[in-house]
Amino acid sequence: MSVTTLQSAFILPSDELVIADKTFSSRLFTGTGKFSDQKIMAAALIASQSQLVTMALKRIDLANQDDDILKPLIAAGMNLLPNTSGARDAKEAVYAAQLAREALQTNWIKLEIHPDPKYLLPDPIETLKATEQLARDGFHVLPYIHADPVLCKRLEAVGTAAVMPLGAPIGSNKGILTAEFLEIIIEQSTVPVIVDAGIGAPSHAALAMEMGADAVLVNTAIAVAKDPVAMSQAFALAVQAGRQAYLAGLGSQAQTAVASSPLTAFLDL
Amino acid sequence: MKLIINDEIKNLAVTTITSLLTTLEQPEKGIAVAVNQAIITRQNWDDFQLSENDQVTLFQAIAGG
Repeated sequence: MSVTTLQSAFILPSDELVIADKTFSSRLFTGTGKFSDQKIMAAALIASQSQLVTMALKRIDLANQDDDILKPLIAAGMNLLPNTSGARDAKEAVYAAQLAREALQTNWIKLEIHPDPKYLLPDPIETLKATEQLARDGFHVLPYIHADPVLCKRLEAVGTAAVMPLGAPIGSNKGILTAEFLEIIIEQSTVPVIVDAGIGAPSHAALAMEMGADAVLVNTAIAVAKDPVAMSQAFALAVQAGRQAYLAGLGSQAQTAVASSPLTAFLDL
Repeated sequence: MKLIINDEIKNLAVTTITSLLTTLEQPEKGIAVAVNQAIITRQNWDDFQLSENDQVTLFQAIAGG
Protein backbone atom coordinates (compact mmCIF):
# COMPACT_ATOMS: atom_id res chain seq x y z
CA MET A 1 0.00 0.00 0.00
CA SER A 2 1.43 3.37 -0.97
CA VAL A 3 1.62 6.24 1.49
CA THR A 4 -1.16 8.08 -0.32
CA THR A 5 -3.49 5.10 -0.14
CA LEU A 6 -2.67 4.59 3.49
CA GLN A 7 -3.51 8.18 4.33
CA SER A 8 -6.70 8.19 2.32
CA ALA A 9 -7.83 5.12 4.21
CA PHE A 10 -8.20 7.33 7.27
CA ILE A 11 -10.31 9.96 5.60
CA LEU A 12 -13.98 9.39 5.04
CA PRO A 13 -14.97 12.41 2.97
CA SER A 14 -18.56 11.40 2.42
CA ASP A 15 -19.22 10.39 6.00
CA GLU A 16 -20.88 13.57 7.14
CA LEU A 17 -23.35 13.96 9.94
CA VAL A 18 -26.46 16.02 9.31
CA ILE A 19 -28.42 17.42 12.24
CA ALA A 20 -31.30 19.77 11.48
CA ASP A 21 -29.88 22.45 9.14
CA LYS A 22 -26.16 21.77 9.69
CA THR A 23 -23.61 19.30 8.33
CA PHE A 24 -20.64 18.14 10.38
CA SER A 25 -17.48 16.38 9.25
CA SER A 26 -16.31 15.94 12.85
CA ARG A 27 -18.34 13.69 15.11
CA LEU A 28 -16.67 14.96 18.25
CA PHE A 29 -18.69 17.68 19.92
CA THR A 30 -17.10 19.50 22.83
CA GLY A 31 -17.99 21.58 25.84
CA THR A 32 -16.33 24.76 27.03
CA GLY A 33 -16.67 24.22 30.80
CA LYS A 34 -14.03 23.54 33.46
CA PHE A 35 -10.92 24.61 31.52
CA SER A 36 -8.27 26.28 33.66
CA ASP A 37 -8.13 29.27 31.33
CA GLN A 38 -9.65 30.61 28.13
CA LYS A 39 -6.50 30.28 26.03
CA ILE A 40 -6.13 26.58 26.81
CA MET A 41 -9.82 26.08 26.14
CA ALA A 42 -9.60 27.69 22.70
CA ALA A 43 -6.41 25.78 21.83
CA ALA A 44 -7.88 22.45 22.94
CA LEU A 45 -11.16 22.92 21.11
CA ILE A 46 -9.40 23.98 17.92
CA ALA A 47 -7.09 20.93 18.20
CA SER A 48 -10.14 18.68 18.63
CA GLN A 49 -11.46 19.86 15.22
CA SER A 50 -14.85 19.98 16.84
CA GLN A 51 -17.44 21.92 14.89
CA LEU A 52 -20.06 22.19 17.61
CA VAL A 53 -19.28 23.54 21.07
CA THR A 54 -21.59 23.97 24.02
CA MET A 55 -21.83 26.89 26.37
CA ALA A 56 -24.03 28.10 29.18
CA LEU A 57 -25.80 31.34 29.96
CA LYS A 58 -25.75 33.34 33.16
CA ARG A 59 -26.70 36.69 34.57
CA ILE A 60 -23.93 39.20 34.06
CA ASP A 61 -22.03 40.17 37.18
CA LEU A 62 -21.60 43.90 36.55
CA ALA A 63 -18.83 44.16 39.15
CA ASN A 64 -16.78 41.20 37.95
CA GLN A 65 -17.11 40.91 34.21
CA ASP A 66 -16.33 37.51 32.66
CA ASP A 67 -14.12 37.35 29.59
CA ASP A 68 -15.65 37.02 26.17
CA ILE A 69 -15.38 33.31 25.40
CA LEU A 70 -17.13 33.54 22.06
CA LYS A 71 -14.58 35.35 19.95
CA PRO A 72 -11.91 32.63 19.50
CA LEU A 73 -14.56 29.96 18.96
CA ILE A 74 -16.44 31.91 16.31
CA ALA A 75 -13.13 32.83 14.67
CA ALA A 76 -12.33 29.10 14.45
CA GLY A 77 -15.61 28.54 12.59
CA MET A 78 -17.33 26.58 15.34
CA ASN A 79 -21.08 26.38 15.72
CA LEU A 80 -22.35 27.36 19.13
CA LEU A 81 -24.71 25.15 21.07
CA PRO A 82 -26.05 27.01 24.12
CA ASN A 83 -27.45 24.89 26.91
CA THR A 84 -30.21 25.47 29.44
CA SER A 85 -28.12 24.35 32.39
CA GLY A 86 -29.56 25.68 35.63
CA ALA A 87 -33.16 25.18 34.52
CA ARG A 88 -35.16 23.06 36.97
CA ASP A 89 -38.33 22.61 34.94
CA ALA A 90 -39.73 23.02 31.43
CA LYS A 91 -40.82 26.60 32.00
CA GLU A 92 -37.35 27.73 33.10
CA ALA A 93 -35.73 25.78 30.27
CA VAL A 94 -37.93 27.42 27.65
CA TYR A 95 -37.06 30.84 29.06
CA ALA A 96 -33.35 29.96 29.08
CA ALA A 97 -33.61 28.77 25.46
CA GLN A 98 -35.25 32.03 24.41
CA LEU A 99 -32.49 34.02 26.16
CA ALA A 100 -29.83 31.88 24.51
CA ARG A 101 -31.40 32.39 21.09
CA GLU A 102 -31.33 36.10 21.70
CA ALA A 103 -27.78 36.18 23.04
CA LEU A 104 -26.16 33.90 20.48
CA GLN A 105 -28.54 34.34 17.55
CA THR A 106 -29.00 30.61 17.10
CA ASN A 107 -32.10 28.46 17.31
CA TRP A 108 -30.05 25.43 18.34
CA ILE A 109 -30.45 24.50 21.99
CA LYS A 110 -29.01 21.77 24.18
CA LEU A 111 -31.90 21.15 26.52
CA GLU A 112 -30.72 20.28 30.03
CA ILE A 113 -33.16 20.02 32.90
CA HIS A 114 -31.55 18.48 35.94
CA PRO A 115 -33.11 19.63 39.19
CA ASP A 116 -30.89 17.46 41.41
CA PRO A 117 -27.37 18.93 41.78
CA LYS A 118 -25.85 15.76 43.24
CA TYR A 119 -26.23 13.46 40.24
CA LEU A 120 -27.40 16.01 37.64
CA LEU A 121 -29.71 13.41 36.17
CA PRO A 122 -32.16 14.79 33.61
CA ASP A 123 -35.86 15.09 34.39
CA PRO A 124 -37.57 13.14 31.58
CA ILE A 125 -41.06 14.57 32.03
CA GLU A 126 -40.00 18.22 32.02
CA THR A 127 -37.57 17.50 29.17
CA LEU A 128 -40.32 16.04 27.00
CA LYS A 129 -42.60 19.00 27.74
CA ALA A 130 -39.90 21.55 26.94
CA THR A 131 -38.83 19.74 23.76
CA GLU A 132 -42.38 19.79 22.47
CA GLN A 133 -42.79 23.50 23.09
CA LEU A 134 -39.36 24.52 21.82
CA ALA A 135 -39.67 22.44 18.64
CA ARG A 136 -43.02 24.11 18.02
CA ASP A 137 -41.37 27.50 18.49
CA GLY A 138 -38.79 26.74 15.80
CA PHE A 139 -35.86 25.57 17.91
CA HIS A 140 -33.59 22.69 16.93
CA VAL A 141 -33.67 20.82 20.22
CA LEU A 142 -30.93 18.45 21.40
CA PRO A 143 -32.12 17.12 24.75
CA TYR A 144 -29.82 15.64 27.36
CA ILE A 145 -31.59 12.52 28.63
CA HIS A 146 -31.12 9.26 30.41
CA ALA A 147 -30.45 6.31 28.10
CA ASP A 148 -34.17 5.59 27.89
CA PRO A 149 -35.29 4.14 24.55
CA VAL A 150 -38.98 4.85 25.21
CA LEU A 151 -38.28 8.51 26.00
CA CYS A 152 -36.25 8.77 22.79
CA LYS A 153 -39.25 7.67 20.73
CA ARG A 154 -41.48 10.14 22.57
CA LEU A 155 -38.98 12.93 21.85
CA GLU A 156 -38.88 11.98 18.18
CA ALA A 157 -42.65 12.21 18.07
CA VAL A 158 -42.61 15.81 19.30
CA GLY A 159 -39.94 16.92 16.84
CA THR A 160 -36.55 16.64 18.54
CA ALA A 161 -33.55 17.27 16.26
CA ALA A 162 -31.38 14.64 17.98
CA VAL A 163 -31.17 12.81 21.29
CA MET A 164 -28.30 13.02 23.77
CA PRO A 165 -28.43 9.99 26.06
CA LEU A 166 -25.90 9.83 28.88
CA GLY A 167 -23.16 7.26 29.33
CA ALA A 168 -22.78 8.09 33.03
CA PRO A 169 -23.48 11.13 35.24
CA ILE A 170 -22.07 14.47 34.00
CA GLY A 171 -18.41 14.93 34.86
CA SER A 172 -18.09 11.47 36.41
CA ASN A 173 -15.64 10.13 33.77
CA LYS A 174 -17.11 6.66 34.36
CA GLY A 175 -17.62 5.80 30.70
CA ILE A 176 -20.42 4.02 28.87
CA LEU A 177 -22.34 2.44 31.76
CA THR A 178 -25.58 2.49 29.77
CA ALA A 179 -24.30 0.43 26.83
CA GLU A 180 -27.19 -2.05 26.64
CA PHE A 181 -29.76 0.75 26.46
CA LEU A 182 -27.71 2.89 24.09
CA GLU A 183 -27.69 -0.05 21.70
CA ILE A 184 -31.48 -0.16 21.73
CA ILE A 185 -31.68 3.62 21.24
CA ILE A 186 -29.23 3.52 18.32
CA GLU A 187 -31.08 0.62 16.71
CA GLN A 188 -34.45 2.36 16.91
CA SER A 189 -33.64 6.03 16.44
CA THR A 190 -34.66 8.02 13.39
CA VAL A 191 -32.76 11.09 14.65
CA PRO A 192 -29.02 11.35 15.36
CA VAL A 193 -27.85 9.86 18.66
CA ILE A 194 -25.15 11.83 20.46
CA VAL A 195 -23.74 10.12 23.53
CA ASP A 196 -23.25 12.81 26.13
CA ALA A 197 -21.89 12.83 29.66
CA GLY A 198 -19.64 10.42 31.50
CA ILE A 199 -17.17 9.89 28.66
CA GLY A 200 -13.90 10.00 30.57
CA ALA A 201 -11.35 8.49 28.19
CA PRO A 202 -10.83 8.21 24.43
CA SER A 203 -11.60 4.47 24.68
CA HIS A 204 -15.09 5.33 26.00
CA ALA A 205 -15.66 7.62 23.01
CA ALA A 206 -14.39 4.93 20.62
CA LEU A 207 -16.74 2.39 22.20
CA ALA A 208 -19.75 4.67 21.74
CA MET A 209 -18.83 5.24 18.10
CA GLU A 210 -18.22 1.52 17.48
CA MET A 211 -21.72 0.90 18.80
CA GLY A 212 -23.05 3.20 16.11
CA ALA A 213 -23.55 6.47 17.93
CA ASP A 214 -23.66 9.35 15.46
CA ALA A 215 -21.45 11.57 17.64
CA VAL A 216 -20.21 12.05 21.18
CA LEU A 217 -20.00 15.13 23.36
CA VAL A 218 -16.94 15.42 25.57
CA ASN A 219 -16.12 18.19 28.01
CA THR A 220 -14.71 17.28 31.42
CA ALA A 221 -12.30 14.60 30.20
CA ILE A 222 -10.58 17.11 27.90
CA ALA A 223 -10.83 20.14 30.18
CA VAL A 224 -9.33 18.50 33.28
CA ALA A 225 -6.61 16.50 31.51
CA LYS A 226 -3.03 17.38 32.37
CA ASP A 227 -2.58 18.41 28.74
CA PRO A 228 -6.01 19.36 27.34
CA VAL A 229 -4.69 20.03 23.82
CA ALA A 230 -3.09 16.57 23.51
CA MET A 231 -6.16 14.97 25.09
CA SER A 232 -8.51 16.64 22.62
CA GLN A 233 -6.44 15.22 19.77
CA ALA A 234 -6.58 11.79 21.40
CA PHE A 235 -10.36 12.07 21.51
CA ALA A 236 -10.52 13.17 17.88
CA LEU A 237 -8.52 10.08 16.85
CA ALA A 238 -10.63 7.78 19.03
CA VAL A 239 -13.87 9.11 17.55
CA GLN A 240 -12.53 8.62 14.03
CA ALA A 241 -11.29 5.11 14.84
CA GLY A 242 -14.59 4.14 16.44
CA ARG A 243 -16.59 5.53 13.56
CA GLN A 244 -14.46 3.79 10.97
CA ALA A 245 -14.71 0.50 12.87
CA TYR A 246 -18.49 0.85 12.97
CA LEU A 247 -18.62 1.49 9.22
CA ALA A 248 -16.20 -1.37 8.56
CA GLY A 249 -18.50 -3.76 10.44
CA LEU A 250 -17.27 -5.44 13.60
CA GLY A 251 -17.02 -9.21 13.73
CA SER A 252 -19.49 -11.04 15.91
CA GLN A 253 -18.62 -12.34 19.38
CA ALA A 254 -18.59 -16.03 20.21
CA GLN A 255 -18.77 -17.97 23.46
CA THR A 256 -16.05 -20.44 22.41
CA ALA A 257 -12.80 -20.09 20.49
CA VAL A 258 -12.91 -19.77 16.72
CA ALA A 259 -9.54 -20.61 15.20
CA SER A 260 -7.75 -17.95 13.23
CA SER A 261 -5.25 -20.46 11.80
CA PRO A 262 -6.14 -23.65 9.95
CA LEU A 263 -6.19 -26.61 12.35
CA THR A 264 -4.22 -28.91 10.08
CA ALA A 265 -2.80 -32.00 11.64
CA PHE A 266 0.76 -31.68 10.33
CA LEU A 267 2.23 -32.11 13.83
CA ASP A 268 0.55 -35.50 14.19
CA LEU A 269 3.47 -37.55 12.96
CA MET B 1 -34.07 57.22 36.07
CA LYS B 2 -34.00 54.53 38.75
CA LEU B 3 -33.48 51.05 37.30
CA ILE B 4 -32.82 47.72 39.00
CA ILE B 5 -30.14 46.04 36.93
CA ASN B 6 -29.28 42.46 37.90
CA ASP B 7 -30.49 43.26 41.43
CA GLU B 8 -28.38 46.45 41.69
CA ILE B 9 -30.19 49.78 41.96
CA LYS B 10 -28.74 52.32 39.55
CA ASN B 11 -29.66 55.86 38.59
CA LEU B 12 -28.89 56.28 34.93
CA ALA B 13 -29.78 58.84 32.28
CA VAL B 14 -30.86 56.26 29.71
CA THR B 15 -34.16 55.52 27.98
CA THR B 16 -33.34 52.67 25.58
CA ILE B 17 -31.62 49.30 25.90
CA THR B 18 -28.95 50.38 23.43
CA SER B 19 -28.06 53.44 25.50
CA LEU B 20 -28.16 51.36 28.68
CA LEU B 21 -25.63 48.87 27.28
CA THR B 22 -23.38 51.70 26.12
CA THR B 23 -23.53 53.36 29.55
CA LEU B 24 -22.73 50.05 31.28
CA GLU B 25 -19.92 49.41 28.79
CA GLN B 26 -21.44 46.09 27.78
CA PRO B 27 -20.70 44.58 24.38
CA GLU B 28 -23.84 44.11 22.29
CA LYS B 29 -22.70 40.69 21.08
CA GLY B 30 -23.45 37.59 23.15
CA ILE B 31 -25.95 39.37 25.39
CA ALA B 32 -29.64 38.90 26.11
CA VAL B 33 -31.80 41.45 27.87
CA ALA B 34 -35.03 41.03 29.80
CA VAL B 35 -37.11 43.85 31.28
CA ASN B 36 -39.45 42.77 34.07
CA GLN B 37 -38.77 39.17 32.97
CA ALA B 38 -39.91 39.78 29.37
CA ILE B 39 -37.15 39.23 26.81
CA ILE B 40 -36.51 42.26 24.59
CA THR B 41 -35.31 41.15 21.18
CA ARG B 42 -32.32 42.81 19.63
CA GLN B 43 -34.29 44.60 16.92
CA ASN B 44 -36.28 46.42 19.63
CA TRP B 45 -33.29 47.64 21.64
CA ASP B 46 -33.50 51.11 20.07
CA ASP B 47 -37.26 51.49 20.37
CA PHE B 48 -38.16 49.92 23.70
CA GLN B 49 -38.61 52.67 26.30
CA LEU B 50 -37.38 51.92 29.80
CA SER B 51 -39.52 53.15 32.69
CA GLU B 52 -38.79 54.14 36.27
CA ASN B 53 -38.20 51.10 38.53
CA ASP B 54 -37.92 48.66 35.64
CA GLN B 55 -36.10 45.46 36.54
CA VAL B 56 -33.51 44.86 33.85
CA THR B 57 -31.74 41.52 33.66
CA LEU B 58 -28.67 41.09 31.49
CA PHE B 59 -27.42 37.64 30.48
CA GLN B 60 -24.25 36.54 28.72
CA ALA B 61 -22.76 33.35 27.35
CA ILE B 62 -20.20 31.68 29.60
CA ALA B 63 -18.24 28.45 29.51
CA GLY B 64 -20.33 25.32 30.06
CA GLY B 65 -20.75 21.71 29.00
